Amino acid sequence: MGFKTDKQTLDDLNITGKYKAHSLFSLFNDTHTGGGEKLLELMFQQPLSDALAINQRSDVFKFFHNKKLSFPFNPSTIQAAETYLGEGTAHSYVVVAGGHLRKKFLQMAMKDEHYAQLQSGLLATIDMLKGLQQFLALLEGHPSTELFETVAGAFSGDTMKWLRELRIDQPLRLLQLARYDHLIRHVLRGEMENILRFIYHLDVCIAVSNVARDRNFSYAQALPKGEHIFKTTALHHPALKNGVANPLHLHEEQNVLFLTGANMAGKSTLMKSIGIAVYLAHMGFPVAAKEMVFSVRDGLYTSINVSDNLNLGYSHFYAEVLRVKKVAEEVAEGRDLVVIFDELFKGTNVKDAYDATLAVTKEFSTYRNSFFVISTHIIEVGEALKTACDNLQFSYLPTIMEGSVPRYPYTLQAGITSDRHGMIIIENERILEMIDE
Amino acid sequence: MSFTTDKQSLEDLNIFGKQGGDSIYNIFNRCTTRGGAAILEELFRYPLADYEAINKRSGIIQSFALAGTSFPFKSSDFDAAEAYLANTDERSKLTVQENTVTRKLTNMIAMDIETQQIYKGVESLVELMKNAQELMQALNGHPFYKEEKEEIRTILNDPAFAVMYESKGKLSHAQVAAFDVILRFRHRNLVEKLLQHIYYLDVYLAIAKVANDKKFVFPKALPAGQSNLLKLEGVYHPQVKNAVPNNIHVTTDNNVIFLTGANMAGKSTFMKSISIAMFLAHMGFPVAAQQMEFAVLDGVYTTINLPDNLGMGASHFYAEVLRVKKMAGELQAKKDLFIVFDELFRGTNVKDAYEATIAITSAFAKKRRSIFLISTHIIEAGDVLKEKCNNINFLYLPTRMSGHQPVYTYKLEQGITGDRHGMVIINNEKILQILQNGKKQLRKTTAYGI
Repeated sequence: MGFKTDKQTLDDLNITGKYKAHSLFSLFNDTHTGGGEKLLELMFQQPLSDALAINQRSDVFKFFHNKKLSFPFNPSTIQAAETYLGEGTAHSYVVVAGGHLRKKFLQMAMKDEHYAQLQSGLLATIDMLKGLQQFLALLEGHPSTELFETVAGAFSGDTMKWLRELRIDQPLRLLQLARYDHLIRHVLRGEMENILRFIYHLDVCIAVSNVARDRNFSYAQALPKGEHIFKTTALHHPALKNGVANPLHLHEEQNVLFLTGANMAGKSTLMKSIGIAVYLAHMGFPVAAKEMVFSVRDGLYTSINVSDNLNLGYSHFYAEVLRVKKVAEEVAEGRDLVVIFDELFKGTNVKDAYDATLAVTKEFSTYRNSFFVISTHIIEVGEALKTACDNLQFSYLPTIMEGSVPRYPYTLQAGITSDRHGMIIIENERILEMIDE
Repeated sequence: MSFTTDKQSLEDLNIFGKQGGDSIYNIFNRCTTRGGAAILEELFRYPLADYEAINKRSGIIQSFALAGTSFPFKSSDFDAAEAYLANTDERSKLTVQENTVTRKLTNMIAMDIETQQIYKGVESLVELMKNAQELMQALNGHPFYKEEKEEIRTILNDPAFAVMYESKGKLSHAQVAAFDVILRFRHRNLVEKLLQHIYYLDVYLAIAKVANDKKFVFPKALPAGQSNLLKLEGVYHPQVKNAVPNNIHVTTDNNVIFLTGANMAGKSTFMKSISIAMFLAHMGFPVAAQQMEFAVLDGVYTTINLPDNLGMGASHFYAEVLRVKKMAGELQAKKDLFIVFDELFRGTNVKDAYEATIAITSAFAKKRRSIFLISTHIIEAGDVLKEKCNNINFLYLPTRMSGHQPVYTYKLEQGITGDRHGMVIINNEKILQILQNGKKQLRKTTAYGI
């Protein structure tokens, strides 16, 4: 069973999407090859749910992070080799040589381009193999993975012995061409597939680790499920270059973070940072957090931008109720989840929102195996929850008034805040004066 | 000065809708011709702010609706005519001299496309003009549509076209060649003007038909600057099936409507119904109501589904503040507007929302010539506003509980309501039970597991 999430969550956190501005995918997508991009996409679509696999992948990224390598291939070489390897060749060497002879004849007689294409494809492939052979020397100490061992084994063993001894004339003679063509595309077909996969893997690793180095990301350590821990000393939003970092510690005894703060104090950003860190960590990717350790979860659900679907006849409130219901069903299944609710029940009147937030938070908080981050404008709920439950962490994002201008430090403090300055914002915009004129 | 609105309002009211979706425009778009559909869109883009122009247009449509006139032209004729007129190349003129035996023989086997197009275009236009003549006869004695009728007649009766009406049956090559010169070159302007008139006619007749089919009524526009701002009876949402009609009467003494009601009681739908009626009325179009009279305003601005642009770093509250500021700017420019706010300041804490709602609503209330429609969940603000201003009309949409199921009447009542049943909805969805039962199950499985 994989790590579960849904479209609402991916949209809230702006995770996938190649053409979306500032999506996490486009943040990391520094790949050079089409295959690399596809592999990256796949990783984004399928986060892992096994601590061992997560740590293994993040170890690989860490290795590249420290090595500071850049992608050694020319993308067009890879593309030419891909095309060449994509076409099959005949089983027997004699038939291959015969076919090439025909092509060469056609080239001479009718300026046919197949022979030239074949030749440049083969040369590009040999180029790529030689490049990889050299590059492998730099990968001393690469964490042991199946793919790496297979490829490295092939290059150091007998399978690729010919490559070390290869001396080719330019242009290739017909018989040479036929021989290597038959070798690469028929005899070593399986090896070539692995090699291409390894190159895509290299592409992704180098791209991701370079982004991580640039932005000073670090790697989270995955713990087995049962420990129920999420801990980091400094967490910020990966898309913000100078984001303010905050520590965070959730565990079985304190599995609910109850967040308050004025408008624009940064509640939503903090919640998104948490969600994104959880998601990236489960992909084994670098996170915008320091010293992060986390127990593997079964899924992540957020509710940050629930829109009213009036076309379907849902009011905003009802849309929220349905969203909470969906999450409640997942939680009730006994899964270990991370759940993030931003301004729960904002689409209704105060009393209803108070009752609903209180009742729902109370019930959710009894599931100690899941983590909840809940923000609200109704601070009175916090006081009631303080007496009702003992496993809530109360934090707030402060606002400091400098004269009539609010300033936001974005650093998390313990407690509940009643900060508000909505009227000040209205006054600063001078709206009332405009109407009165 | 023209009637103004903005993208947010057009989206809120679903005027154009998303591609292919159901929209207000689609309700009316029953035009036969493509030119008509283009003009209809133009009318939707630019509503009128002059009561005479509004009454004139709605009078024309209304009288067509009464007469039940149907559009007598074939849409394929217009396509042929447009394609034909688009070809302005002098060299493509047909010449009579060329009518030789060779040409006849080649044309017998296959006519070249250009010539074919010219043949079809000329035939279509002659057909259209003949039809237009007949229609003008039929419309004799029609009190409205006078100027347009005069103009169309003048064009049709131009002596240059007389030869065409005399032609009968299939046109000969000589006739086509002669008409081609008249239609496409010598009197091109007249022909284009005529087509434009026919497209407008198409629009009017299409709207008249919609009004008849849907039983919409034609509103009466009054000049600006009087105390009766709006009188709407039996207004409903044109896209809601079995919609419940409501009455509302706005004067300068109660020009701020303060709307309360529980979730799902129909606040948003009611606000949209009135706004759509106001929008259509300013186009001179029929509206989904029993009766409507309104003083002409300068614009409609609604804020019903304001998206929080969190991606750009603006919170929902700030988006609302900026929106209010925009309205304030328009009011400052001395415009009389129809302004709608659904759940004002829902993106902030209660106390801020309370203070801000009172401050903004009472500031709006000083503008007696504009109409404000404001809904909120913060009913406490209503009590304060009652004391503060004397021109606020407090209305609510009630909820009746039948057992555990809320029932909505969708009928406006006077006053402020404290109705709420958010918890009832949560209980009906059994969210708390799901969580409670889930836990029990988990305990069982772990117990057995051990």
